[in-house]
Amino acid sequence: MTDLRHYDVIVSPSITEKSTLVSEQNQVVFNVAKDASKPEIKAAVEALFGVKVTAVNTLVRKGKTKRFRGFAGKQKDVKKAIITLADGQSIDVSTGL
Amino acid sequence: MQVIETLAQGLKRELKVVIPAKDMEARMNERLAEVKDRVRINGFRPGKVPVAHLKKVYGKSIMADLVNEIVRDKPTEILSGRGEKSATQPEIAMTEDETEANKILNAEADLEFTVAYEIIPAIELKDVSGIKVTREVVEIADEEVNEQILRIAESARSYESKKGKAANGDRVTIDYLGKVDGVAFDGGKDEDAELVLGSNRFIPGFEEQLVGVKAGDEKTITVTFPADYPAANLAGKEATFDITVKDVAAAQDIEINDELATKLGLESADKLKEIVRGQIESQYGNLTRQKVKRQILDQLDELYKFETPERLVEAEFENIWRQINTDLQQAGKTFADEETTEEEARAEYRKLAERRVRLGLVLSEIGEKAGVQVSDDELQRSLFEQLRQFPGQEKQILDYFKNTPGAAASLRAPLFEEKVVDHLLGEISVTDKTVSKEELTADDEEGEGKAAKKAPAKKKAAAKAEAAEGEEAAAPKKKAPAKKKAAEDSAE
Repeated sequence: MTDLRHYDVIVSPSITEKSTLVSEQNQVVFNVAKDASKPEIKAAVEALFGVKVTAVNTLVRKGKTKRFRGFAGKQKDVKKAIITLADGQSIDVSTGL
Repeated sequence: MQVIETLAQGLKRELKVVIPAKDMEARMNERLAEVKDRVRINGFRPGKVPVAHLKKVYGKSIMADLVNEIVRDKPTEILSGRGEKSATQPEIAMTEDETEANKILNAEADLEFTVAYEIIPAIELKDVSGIKVTREVVEIADEEVNEQILRIAESARSYESKKGKAANGDRVTIDYLGKVDGVAFDGGKDEDAELVLGSNRFIPGFEEQLVGVKAGDEKTITVTFPADYPAANLAGKEATFDITVKDVAAAQDIEINDELATKLGLESADKLKEIVRGQIESQYGNLTRQKVKRQILDQLDELYKFETPERLVEAEFENIWRQINTDLQQAGKTFADEETTEEEARAEYRKLAERRVRLGLVLSEIGEKAGVQVSDDELQRSLFEQLRQFPGQEKQILDYFKNTPGAAASLRAPLFEEKVVDHLLGEISVTDKTVSKEELTADDEEGEGKAAKKAPAKKKAAAKAEAAEGEEAAAPKKKAPAKKKAAEDSAE
């Protein structure tokens, strides 16, 4: 069961300019579930990619309010996790699971 | 890039082309660098996408493009490098294996493909001055001209009302109502219909019974529709027609004089004669030209013996075969009706196809050497000629010629051929010979018989074939005879 939960924790890799920049420092960026905690994320990444995680930093990017045809709406909040891997390990994020 | 010849047998050639993976990758990277500043990928500002990422996203499609491009362009390049001309579109074969193909796309394996084609044999131009042809020219007799004029005048004949009984050749103006079993039928009623007695425009018996009527007469006649009458509900039925005669007019005698000419829109009788003579002359001229052309082609055929590219022959044969089959189908016949079997016919048409291909090649070679060229003007003219034959559909046809790349070439081919023949006429010895009209037409049959002597349907086909002999002009082949006919019709 724990396995399936891992897939729910990690939503997708985040491939952006910034994420490619931090990959220089042996870090990877994932979009994760809003309610995922750092230990959960660590466990999930270690289990799914078979790597050793040394640190997990998270942030929640708040969704913007957008107007559509005069109605106020709100984009979803996104939680991102910046994961530092142990030296010499890597994840090829763009290949997918 | 490596090119290895794997087969060189007769006219067939097969090449194996290998392009190393490294070259491919280098080319791909070039492409990537080109598009780098233009692509927009979410999460990146334009121009800031790392090449590694770009390659992951677009690498494969770019590679596929590259492969297509190479396969498209290389064969012609290689061929021109080797100084050979391919008779048909070269056939290109690549690996069918998917993993193999994937490897190529990932620039892990060398790109390999084979090019198979047949070369056009080098034709050594032979001296054509040895060719002798007889041009048969017909003296046009005055009687023939007069006859033709009379025929034209017939349609413009004038009538004058007369009192008294209608005779054969008179024109009557009538109202009529036709009934079958006492009931009027569709199309059986008309008012003020003009009918020339003896013109056989109406059903048999109708006109004959009107001979002897006078203006103001009322008459009921009984006629029987012929059994093969187009309207099925009337065929073979007996019908009565209630007829009211309104007018009887006698035909004026036709005389070839200035008056007649003015009526036809010309100044004088002499002018009329001149024009009609010109028309007849051009008719015979066409015939003469065709015969001369056939003679030239026959002799060229004798002169040049070389292997013909099989695929061209095959294509030409397919064309003929399709044409023949549709002809047969339209005529509702089978090969058995033509006293031949399918195999025999096939063999015969294959020979015809080969001859055509060979002559086409020879003619094009001669034309090229002589610098024969078809100008745009001439192309335009022949295009309009084509258009004239399909009134109402001009637009579709124009579009067809605009959008189909081969179509313009198919127009050009016969023109080119004609010009080459013109050129040849200047080089070979031509003897003029005056013959009678009968001789000219009679000989013609014989000439056709040589190409295909068995059945009338074939003769027709052969004539068609000869008409557009030479270049691989599939489309106009069908239309050529029709064109001639149309031209004649409009001339009259």
